[in-house]
Amino acid sequence: MALQDFRADAMRCTRCAYCKWIPFDLIKSARFSRGCPSMEAGKYHSYSAGGRLITALSLMDGRSTVTERVKDSIFKCNLCGQCDVSCKICRYDMEPLEAMRELRATIVSEGHTLPQLDQVIEGLRTQFNMLGQPAKNRGNWAAALQIKNLTKESADYVFHPGCRYSFDGELAHVTRDCVDILQRAGIDFGIFGQNEKCCGGRAYDMGYRANFNSMAKANLSAWKRAGVTTVITPCAECYHTFSRKYTAKAGSEIKVVHMVQFIAQLVREGKLKFTRPQKMTVTYHDPCHLGRQGEPYVAWEGEEKKIFGQAVCYDPPRPRYNGAFGVYEEPREILRAIPGIELREMERIREASWCCGAGGGSREAYPEFSRATADERLEEARSTGAAAIVTACSWCERNFLDSIESSEAKLKVFDIVELVAQAL
Amino acid sequence: MIRTIPKEAYGAIKDIVGADNISDDPAILDSYAFEVMSELVRPDHCHFMPRPWAIVLPGSTEEVAAVTRLCNKYGIKVKPISTGWYHWAAPLKDDEPTVQFDLRRMDKIIEIDEKNMYAVVEPYVICAQLQAEVMKRGLNVNIIGAGCSTSIVASACAYFGAGPSSFYMGNNSENLLGQEWVTPAGDVIRTGSLSSNCGWFCSEGPGPSPRGITRGTLGSRGGLGTYTRCAIKLSPWEGPPVMEPTGKAPGYRLPIPEKFRVYTIGAPSWDAYADCFYKIYDNGIGYIFHRQFNLAGADLAAALWLTYIDPTKTLNDVETAVADPEIKRITEESRISFQLILQGSSIENIQLQDKILNAIMRQCGCYKVERFCEPDMAEFTNMYLQRLGHKHCNYMWVGGYMGSWMQPGTPDFVKGYVPIAIDSFAKDQESGKLVQCGGDALMGCGSTIGGGGLCGLEQFVSYDPNDDSSVDACIQHMEDAVTTTARHGIPPGKEYIYLQVGWPEEKVWDALARMPQKFVLNFQRKIKEAFDPNALGDRNYPWLPEGWGEKTTG
Amino acid sequence: MKNAKAALEEIVGAQNVIDDASVIESYSSDQSDAPRRRPHFVVRPKTAAEVQALVIWANETCTPLVAVSSGSPHFHGDTVPCRPESVIVDLSRMNTIKRIDRRNRIVVIEPGVTYAVLETALSAHGLRISQPLLPRANKSVVASLLERQPTTIPRFNFSLPEPLRNCGVVWGTGEIAFTGEAGNGQMNLEEQWKSGVAQVDPKGPNATDLMRLVTGAQGTMGIVVWASVKCELLPEAKRCVFVTGRRLAELVDFCYKIERIRLGDEVLCVNAAQLATMLQGSSAELTELRKFLPAWTVIIALAGAGLYPEQRVQVQELDLNCIAQQCGLAINQCLPRVSATAVQQALDRCSPEPYYKLKGKGAFEEIFFLTTLNKVPGFVETVIEIAAENNYDLSHLGIYIQPQHQGVTQHVEFSLPFDPADRIEAEKVRRIVAAASEALMQQGAYFSRPYGAWAEMVFNRDTQATRILRTVKQIVDPKNVLNPGKLCF
Repeated sequence: MALQDFRADAMRCTRCAYCKWIPFDLIKSARFSRGCPSMEAGKYHSYSAGGRLITALSLMDGRSTVTERVKDSIFKCNLCGQCDVSCKICRYDMEPLEAMRELRATIVSEGHTLPQLDQVIEGLRTQFNMLGQPAKNRGNWAAALQIKNLTKESADYVFHPGCRYSFDGELAHVTRDCVDILQRAGIDFGIFGQNEKCCGGRAYDMGYRANFNSMAKANLSAWKRAGVTTVITPCAECYHTFSRKYTAKAGSEIKVVHMVQFIAQLVREGKLKFTRPQKMTVTYHDPCHLGRQGEPYVAWEGEEKKIFGQAVCYDPPRPRYNGAFGVYEEPREILRAIPGIELREMERIREASWCCGAGGGSREAYPEFSRATADERLEEARSTGAAAIVTACSWCERNFLDSIESSEAKLKVFDIVELVAQAL
Repeated sequence: MIRTIPKEAYGAIKDIVGADNISDDPAILDSYAFEVMSELVRPDHCHFMPRPWAIVLPGSTEEVAAVTRLCNKYGIKVKPISTGWYHWAAPLKDDEPTVQFDLRRMDKIIEIDEKNMYAVVEPYVICAQLQAEVMKRGLNVNIIGAGCSTSIVASACAYFGAGPSSFYMGNNSENLLGQEWVTPAGDVIRTGSLSSNCGWFCSEGPGPSPRGITRGTLGSRGGLGTYTRCAIKLSPWEGPPVMEPTGKAPGYRLPIPEKFRVYTIGAPSWDAYADCFYKIYDNGIGYIFHRQFNLAGADLAAALWLTYIDPTKTLNDVETAVADPEIKRITEESRISFQLILQGSSIENIQLQDKILNAIMRQCGCYKVERFCEPDMAEFTNMYLQRLGHKHCNYMWVGGYMGSWMQPGTPDFVKGYVPIAIDSFAKDQESGKLVQCGGDALMGCGSTIGGGGLCGLEQFVSYDPNDDSSVDACIQHMEDAVTTTARHGIPPGKEYIYLQVGWPEEKVWDALARMPQKFVLNFQRKIKEAFDPNALGDRNYPWLPEGWGEKTTG
Repeated sequence: MKNAKAALEEIVGAQNVIDDASVIESYSSDQSDAPRRRPHFVVRPKTAAEVQALVIWANETCTPLVAVSSGSPHFHGDTVPCRPESVIVDLSRMNTIKRIDRRNRIVVIEPGVTYAVLETALSAHGLRISQPLLPRANKSVVASLLERQPTTIPRFNFSLPEPLRNCGVVWGTGEIAFTGEAGNGQMNLEEQWKSGVAQVDPKGPNATDLMRLVTGAQGTMGIVVWASVKCELLPEAKRCVFVTGRRLAELVDFCYKIERIRLGDEVLCVNAAQLATMLQGSSAELTELRKFLPAWTVIIALAGAGLYPEQRVQVQELDLNCIAQQCGLAINQCLPRVSATAVQQALDRCSPEPYYKLKGKGAFEEIFFLTTLNKVPGFVETVIEIAAENNYDLSHLGIYIQPQHQGVTQHVEFSLPFDPADRIEAEKVRRIVAAASEALMQQGAYFSRPYGAWAEMVFNRDTQATRILRTVKQIVDPKNVLNPGKLCF
């Protein structure tokens, strides 16, 4: 798609500002009513989804140019998709999140980039990961484990930890816990180890389409060669990328499963038994890419058509992604199944979840903004009285861990897989 | 052409609000110039109103006052907005230096006085936020028809103030208590008990009420200074302290507590509809009272809303639904209908209200629209009307909505213009350039003032802002509405004030000069001279130049 | 003066221009301590056109006009001229009920229509208006509403000026303009009615609330020549119940609860002295009765109008019982030596002549202001303290608390009867009123209706209101012909 393809979205934006808030029906307090971290930081209307649609229109019509301020308004955003959910409460014809991605890709293609992101992409290009780490170290987490090597062997499933789980030493135990669970389940799986490549999802969100394309191509080829039919990942962003972006952009038909879905299924089937109670009050953070951006996805191509004279719909009917069917229940099922765990929900949950602050290139380009976003979420977690915040995404976890040190919110941070492993 | 305020002015404002809180970047400015309905009034259907020359985000009354005083010094117009929805929120002229205040930093709930039932808020506190907080205390706030994303200060001080809950909770003009106003000259004025240092609780007096100059039927819509705080009267709420919606987006559902009832009432005729309204007024039942769902058009409403509550469906499904025989039956049953939510102080009270309502319906020949009263639709109706967080559905069809007609009056008066409005709109839809939803896409409050007696119905005209021919069709409808109303001796409706946004000043004055009573317009000129000596406010605060009334042009 | 008389006679007719000494004298003072000043004439117009002509004439000749609608006695000094050569515009001849619109529950009346007359006329249509406590039978309804006299049914009080809706006003410039919805249409009520306008919406017109500029104005902004007033249904079932207490503070929570859910029609709280004064009986009888009455009584009239009136009363009673229980209070069906019927009559009727508060000792002074309920006990203490310090017999001190604006605001009223023949007592009462007013103002009492000496006290402190009001006055009455010397003018 091109930015012009979103011209209609921009023209049909009503500047209602719903994109700045969580769905109004779900507001439980004034304190935790806001939905857009970007607006909280940037304040001007341009920092909202609606504002970016206007920016797109303004640029397309030559009314303005890409200045440093404009770049700031475009890039200072986690692309968390809260705006998309809120807009779609009332609108069936708008795709604000996609439009914002397209806006980024457009200005990147025109050379308006941020040096911090350029640097990250250079690392992706040469070392195939988003952390700027040497590719050869990617498989170190699995050094002591006996796992099929899919560069040489075949398997039904590929376990794809993703960049953060692979390289982040503090999270490596989670990666190993995943493997343990998969082995207990007895499925036929393998890994690519140091040959694993980034999903490319974040590169896509940052606006670097070509780099995403090359990662997608590489991964899909590798999986095909290894005979893989299903990819399992503990990383929410990878999950979203494989199930949405690969399907939409790269024609992938591979099945994608997140670890929480896998574990929840095992729990339901009685194949996973929790024997060690974990006495703790926890609250669960819905990662954007697993929740509202983690809905089952079907690629679509078609055209706008009008009914009743002017009402917009699509031919063929365009599936609707508004966060309603994200992966929300499975992690909660798991937590409720672990003895001793008391789950206390935050106000902004499920499709209204406040972003952790790590996505979209924010962590790399705007660390203060990223940190402030995480702080806000931790404050909300603290308000529940829970002792710990649990999530199902490495990036969320990392951002919370980094923030917690300086935050007033003295909470523990857990990956849900970690809690599962502790309870087994 | 990029226009900027003088560097010295920019620097001085920056010193007041901080460098982060002022911008004159063109793209940033465009995010304020872009407004809904701009394309109906601007040359070449441009979706941008005149661009402000700078955006300022003040953080306090003191900053608002200081920047305003500075703007006086430099002759820069000031146009404040809270959430800033509708084309008149933007500057009205291209060639006038204008600073737009975006008041989003002034977002605190200052105080909630639970016992005395009022709250004090800053301009960026939206209805949803305050409602969530006061419900914890067994209270509620009147949310205006534009929905819970709107500013309370704006609706109470600067705009209209009516909503589905006004029948029980009052219009926000009635609910306005003390207020704080920064005049265009930069003076901070407080009204009511606040100016006598007695607190926020009373808007009247001392003596005659100074608040009488700050708003009337409408407020000044940013055209006469900035409102920086107000106190708003609250009403009782018998529901749970926190709303716990169920279901999936978009049609969240709100379980109906035992002291509530949620109904869609159908009427066999407009006469019966009006009679029913009068009986509801006489009998004083009704917590939320609104003709809401008909915004989609009577021909399509049943199909649309029954589709909407299914999270697996899209607007494509409405096309199928409309042809379904059962939907067709429901469409006819609900053709003339409205929504009514009852709240009781006790179980006995709500049971009695039910009894009263049943008697009223028998007397008027009205009935409950069964399908809409089933749990799924009733709970959705409850959610929709209690929080009023789906008002963007006004734009659901294609992103463009313009509300025409809406002449306020008694139910009999409104009933009088309904067939004309329906007929006229149906004709305008024939070209297919507007959404063809049937001539009756009338929506409006059960009463726009507390206790009943006054209502209005507006046509929901849906057009495609991305299609010039559709925009033209909407403009044609507006012009048709103006001539149709004039022909029938009906006062002009909302379309008239929307069109005026694009008129040159002289044309607006000519129109005002044709008003049968011009006293208030001359009064407002003098108020403007007194409180806005350097003419920093725009014509959202209407006035007539001296003597203009005596030389009307055609 | 000869020219003036001739000019006035030309406007209203010779028989309606009065310079008879006794009549003039009756307008030169009232029951307040406003300085005596004789007007030069009293004129009695019959039509709005005549009123307009009078105002135009007043502008031409710089003659102060003081509008009076109600019969005497008057109590607040607002109808006593402050300037020499004033002309009283007595509106009592403008006493037509122009329209009773049952369907829209709006009555349109002229300023000379009194509560007694209106009550009778409306009841024939099954209607009533929410009225003040024991208004004088000869009290102008329009004047009472313009004064923002508190009405006794808080649940109908969506804003303080209610039930006043629209007005036809002759402004101080001599222009006529209607307020509210009526200000949008033709300047002719019949034409408006033909087009379906019922003068319902009080706001406006346009971006100004003209009605709010004439309420509380003591006739300084314009002379109202007609008003539309919201009516309510006459209840078919009604009974009064009572909750009593020895201390006001015991009743505050209860009052908050019932006002919050808008329970009852008439709801008010009175002390023994006030309650006694409200009832029928001789002064001696009521003095005796006072000893038996509770120190404080909340009067709640449970009423049912419309469908199922009796059941409405029953359901309200259930709610009331529940609340009383929560507060540890009892509901009483009557009071010691006083039946509910007797109290209900007091709520439903006009005051016996000349005015119920005069019954006790022949004269009285009042203090009234607005506040919130939680602050009322503190204000009551202040007044009691000052009265006691001045050796005032507290058993005579009447206290009346009237919820307004559906409970958000409370009108608090103190009445201090005295014997007008007893100069020392009169002086004492005036001293108490002055001292208490000052103390109350310091304490945060809101004197929203600043009569007499309060005007200076209020407007000296409230420069913002003064500025706005003077600006408005300069626009609508630049020559200050309308009741000059009042408020801050």
